[in-house]
Amino acid sequence: MLDLLVGALVYSNLLALMAVGLSLALITCRVSNFAHGDFAMVGVYAAYTLSVVAGLTPYAWIPAAFAFGGLVSLLAYLLVFEPLRERTDLVTLMVVSMALDMVLRYSLHVYADLMQQWLRVYTRLFMFDDFLVEAAGSRLPGVLPASTAVVAALLASLYVLLYKTRVGVAMRAAIENPGLAEALGVSVERVFALSWFLSGALAATAGVFLPFRIMVSPDTGWSMLLPTFAAVTVGGIGSLGGSVLGAYLIGFSETVLAYQLAQVGISTAYRPLLTFAAIIATLLVYPRGLSGLWSGKGWSLRRRS
Amino acid sequence: MVATSEVLAFAVSLGTLYSIYVILSSSMELVYGELGLPDFAKAAFFAVGAFAAGALSVRLGAALAGIAWEGEFKLRSYYYATLVSAKVAENPLMGLVIFAVPLLVAVPCAVLLGVLASYPALRLREDYLAITLIAFSEIVRVVARNYEPLVGGTFGAGVVDVFAWLRSPWRELAMMLTSALFAFGAWLLLYRLSRSPFGRVLRAVRDDEVAAAAYGVDVARVRAWAMALGSGMAAVAGVLYAFYIGSVNPDDFTVSRTFLVVLMVTVGGRGNPKSPPLGAAVYLALDRALLFAKRFLPVPFDVNYVAYAALGVLLILFVMKKPEGLAPERPLLTVDAEATEGVTSRT
Repeated sequence: MLDLLVGALVYSNLLALMAVGLSLALITCRVSNFAHGDFAMVGVYAAYTLSVVAGLTPYAWIPAAFAFGGLVSLLAYLLVFEPLRERTDLVTLMVVSMALDMVLRYSLHVYADLMQQWLRVYTRLFMFDDFLVEAAGSRLPGVLPASTAVVAALLASLYVLLYKTRVGVAMRAAIENPGLAEALGVSVERVFALSWFLSGALAATAGVFLPFRIMVSPDTGWSMLLPTFAAVTVGGIGSLGGSVLGAYLIGFSETVLAYQLAQVGISTAYRPLLTFAAIIATLLVYPRGLSGLWSGKGWSLRRRS
Repeated sequence: MVATSEVLAFAVSLGTLYSIYVILSSSMELVYGELGLPDFAKAAFFAVGAFAAGALSVRLGAALAGIAWEGEFKLRSYYYATLVSAKVAENPLMGLVIFAVPLLVAVPCAVLLGVLASYPALRLREDYLAITLIAFSEIVRVVARNYEPLVGGTFGAGVVDVFAWLRSPWRELAMMLTSALFAFGAWLLLYRLSRSPFGRVLRAVRDDEVAAAAYGVDVARVRAWAMALGSGMAAVAGVLYAFYIGSVNPDDFTVSRTFLVVLMVTVGGRGNPKSPPLGAAVYLALDRALLFAKRFLPVPFDVNYVAYAALGVLLILFVMKKPEGLAPERPLLTVDAEATEGVTSRT
């Protein structure tokens, strides 16, 4: 039971970081970014490489993964999405992001091959060693407090950035009405670039925690992608607060329901079905998602156009 | 040196695959290119055809040949596929039945699912619709992967060789000709539809749904028709694919498969009925060229990965530099060109 709770909480933490990142891409360039899962894997391989080469636990390399994932995402924005942003339709943007997913995922595969020969370590289906924490008479995996602390810190800083700084005001203005913000002297391109950097950086950070729970390979990013979409959709597309809420809702219900299914003898391999069904049901029945319940108030950014 | 027969076998095999991709991309061009509906569940409709062949060919064959079935389907389907194929070698008619029945089951199923999938389009913005269809496509794959009685789950299912009554070079040739026949039929259907009033209605809905509705077009009905046709075509491709490969594996029908078909249509030229044969040719040429390169390039990683990454780069480059594709859509001439010329020269 405790195991179940730990699993659900860690999974939800990761989904929250991923979902907020995906939302940032959605509200700036309106891209349903299918390469978002790959940013997480960029973080995994960055932290893994550094911890093998320079020693130390992968936890220590989270800042490096954050920076590297953000850089890759920033490049994707500058090279691909910025030139296409105003020029093409939403589905084409999505198709382009699928192409980007192929480029990143298979580049990571090539990198994994090279890294295996270079460092003589497993580069597919590997896990990170975790430490254990004594708490309330039982031993908990260290990834639980670590991921919770990092998620809380990052989300709080994001909130401060968006709502208490000049850059944040510019960001929110550019997101809600790019044309008007541009007219008022905000460099929309620079603000969006910052959003994209954060989008990839948050995903890469989430990625570093992943191998503490499951075995990963370059394709793992894809299996994280649809749950992330589910979190964003259930939370209400375009709302950052909703995305966080959606992540915990999806994370907990997926873990708990899969457990319930196993109890009645249905294979847990059907677990993803819940997530997919959640996407379809939300979009068809109440497409505004959870944030539709409090829309317009509080921490809910959305583009008006 | 490579023997001539080997080159021929390669060409025949490539021709079959090309035909299957022409059917798939024709169905994508109809729904996505002409109607503008992002049918990103294409892999699922393709899978419906393949699963029908995987689930039915061996069971039906065993029943027809009077072979008693023992053991679980997932463990024994390959074994019985060989037994049934041996029976088909003596009885061509049986091969025909085993080929026709999955086709007759798969196409109505896919048409029904396609009509169903066209309904969310009434409510959703196009990108959300695409995500909904992707989620649907993954549901189909995950169920097939875990529900073993269907096509054996991760074990996959064996498929009967319906041309077993022919000897080796002719057998593959028969498969290719059958596929080519279906491919030509599917493409001709697309071409004729595109040039017909129905095709103009499709593009009118794509360009401005509200305007089309104002002119009396029943948008929901048009979408349902196009999705029915497109999904049925994809199912035909799926049946052919299963018989061509000789087995069915649920993990063959991922979103990447859909992406490849979208790539063919985009590279070929969205909105032009010439795009499916063009795009499929570009894709296969690139894919095979990279496989050849693999033989001669001693690199310390798997060249297949580079091939996939290169396809991604190709699509991005096309969208950025040549969004209209190799064969751009021909604009509709609503007014006689000479008449407008006269007007402009006078003013």
